[in-house]
Amino acid sequence: MAPVLRLENVTKRYGGTVAVDGVSFTAEPGRLVGLLGPNGAGKTSTIRMVTAITTPDTGRVTLGGETVGPATQRRMGYLPEERGLYRKLRVGEQLVYLARLKGMTKTDAVAAVKRWLDRFDASAWWGRRTEELSKGMQQKVQFVATVVHEPDLVVLDEPFSGLDPINADVLEAVIGDLRAAGRTVVFASHRMESVEALCDDVVMMAKGRVVLAGPLREVKRRYGRDTVSVAWSGPDAWLDALVGPTGDGADSTANGSAEASAAASGVRVLRRSAGQATLRLDAGTPPRRVLDAALAGADDVDRFDVHEPPLDEIFRLAVGEA
Amino acid sequence: MSPTALIAQSEYVRRVRSPWFIATTLLTPALAVAVFAIPFLTVSLGGGDAPQTVAILDGTGALADSVAAALPASYTAHETGAELGALREAVLAGQLGGYLVLAPGVLDGTAQARYFSRGSGLEEMAVLGEAVREAVRDERVRRAGASPAVVALLDARVGLEQVSVSEDGDAADGALVQLLVANVLAFLIYIAVLLYGAMVMRGVIEEKSNRIVEVIASSVRPFELLMGKVLGIGAVGLTQLVGWGVLMAAGAAALGPLLLALAPAAAIPAAGAAAGAAAGAADLPIDPAALSAAFAPGLLAAFVAYFCGGYLLFAAVFAAIGSAVDQESDAQTLQVPVMLPIVVPMLFLPAVLSQPDTPLSVFLSLFPVSSPVLMVVRMSVTDVPAWQVAASLALLAGAFVGMIWVAARVYRVGILMTGKKATFADLWRWVRTA
Repeated sequence: MAPVLRLENVTKRYGGTVAVDGVSFTAEPGRLVGLLGPNGAGKTSTIRMVTAITTPDTGRVTLGGETVGPATQRRMGYLPEERGLYRKLRVGEQLVYLARLKGMTKTDAVAAVKRWLDRFDASAWWGRRTEELSKGMQQKVQFVATVVHEPDLVVLDEPFSGLDPINADVLEAVIGDLRAAGRTVVFASHRMESVEALCDDVVMMAKGRVVLAGPLREVKRRYGRDTVSVAWSGPDAWLDALVGPTGDGADSTANGSAEASAAASGVRVLRRSAGQATLRLDAGTPPRRVLDAALAGADDVDRFDVHEPPLDEIFRLAVGEA
Repeated sequence: MSPTALIAQSEYVRRVRSPWFIATTLLTPALAVAVFAIPFLTVSLGGGDAPQTVAILDGTGALADSVAAALPASYTAHETGAELGALREAVLAGQLGGYLVLAPGVLDGTAQARYFSRGSGLEEMAVLGEAVREAVRDERVRRAGASPAVVALLDARVGLEQVSVSEDGDAADGALVQLLVANVLAFLIYIAVLLYGAMVMRGVIEEKSNRIVEVIASSVRPFELLMGKVLGIGAVGLTQLVGWGVLMAAGAAALGPLLLALAPAAAIPAAGAAAGAAAGAADLPIDPAALSAAFAPGLLAAFVAYFCGGYLLFAAVFAAIGSAVDQESDAQTLQVPVMLPIVVPMLFLPAVLSQPDTPLSVFLSLFPVSSPVLMVVRMSVTDVPAWQVAASLALLAGAFVGMIWVAARVYRVGILMTGKKATFADLWRWVRTA
């Protein structure tokens, strides 16, 4: 079983700015931990301390009880947000080099790189220059570089950014395998919905602090089943009437009106697009008020669902509480 | 294999097998040989002396014939009685190369000889000047009543042969060869430091702009990456220098006799032009014994040591600069403080060459920033005490340790900084806080 990653009251300053402020959390083996927060929340600064690229000003980062450093680096794989490879090097040589920097012998590295390229149907790329590959192919190569030395801890910073749907599926499957194999996976993203589908635990950061942390199911349950999603056909005037005069009927972007309406009616729009909306109910507002309005105003109601709030809404609430 | 060795090996292999490396290794000696060989060949193959017609307006009435006789065969000189205006017209019309005016005062030293032409090269002026001087001297001697025997004695040339004394034995004709060798070695170190230092800087910038550096930094310490890169590229430089040395030696062995056969000794011009002061006195072909004496094993060992020391000293700084910028064009201003200490010692090269044992020369050859170039220069032209070489190398090593310490602190912060262009104030802050 892979060791536990633990951050204890970790702080990092750059000049006068506190990038990470007293952050503590734990990542368990066999679980996928989502490190969430908007850009500038301190995710990358935190990750750089976990990967021992930088050291905390105060506090401690440990992997299996050992303070992170050159020794633990060999047991980690890191996929940075800003992807990069040596453009002129051939794929095989590049991956073998990166694996050897992680302490593998040349023979082991060659075998492992071949195995991983096979797994990605990419054996034919061995002798090709990296710069000749498409962006998606380069991302696969980079992912192989992250996991080729079979690390105990895998740290992925925005792993899905820029991936096409097919490669995203492949990556998701591999991440699932890593988790099944008992590895510890930390996965940073500002795109909450991608995390929601994958993570076991979440750590939410804002302005350098952890605002909320815990198992995803528990966190969601804590915020209650007070959200409804509704899909309908026909006119949408009923929704404008429901949310009141502040509702912006012309807005059809996915999440543009999220903060738009503080509803007198006890209903707020989280997401809205043509014929679909996700609504948050204030305390005491029964879900059927939305259903009644939809049935009365729309031609037909295709779907109606009561559920927990989406992560981005939970994040907003958590920041508000913090 | 340690991370530093692994990185150095990768950096080395990647560069040495590149077409750029192979091309520069092969072509540079060819270029160097061409630079030396072309002046030889153009002169000896008859490109040099165009026939020149010179009219002599002799106010002394005694010099015209002897000047004409003293001029080389390519000059056709005749005495003329024409008006100055007419001569001038003839020059402008291209009928006459030029005209020499010898005022009566030339003989007693109260006037100068003057030569009028469309413009004359250095060589033409030297030839004419020599002819006039010879004629005037002969005439003065004759008027003083000296016998032809005395004139003949005056004409007899007196040479000064320079013999270098060293523990390894005495070598004749050493001075010119030593100057040549000193210049070549100094320029090689100078160029190598710039070339390979800039290569380190480009490598750092490439890793940073590629973002691969973050992956590497999650595997090895920044200091290991820095040292691996510096050492790997240093080995590239050493390989290239050795390659050049071997190719040049082979080329000299193959081409030397050919050039000598083509170029009669008298026709060889100032091939040592690179040797500056020595140019006029060039007494080539070089005595092979003097050449091999100039490339004494001790000097070659010192050359390699100072190349390595100089390169290491500055490569670390180049790496630090590379780490502070996102792209090469941003590096210009930051490069100034590293370029100055590389360039400035070159300005002292002539002074050290001509007076290698003054306190200034000794100081410059001990001071770590200037010692890589100037100690090698001193060692080529004079016998430097062993303690000075040892002290100079020790100071250089100390300076390198200090420099890499500072550079590493800048580097480990710089490689992770993107977006903002760093200033000197930033770099200083990184050194203090990193």
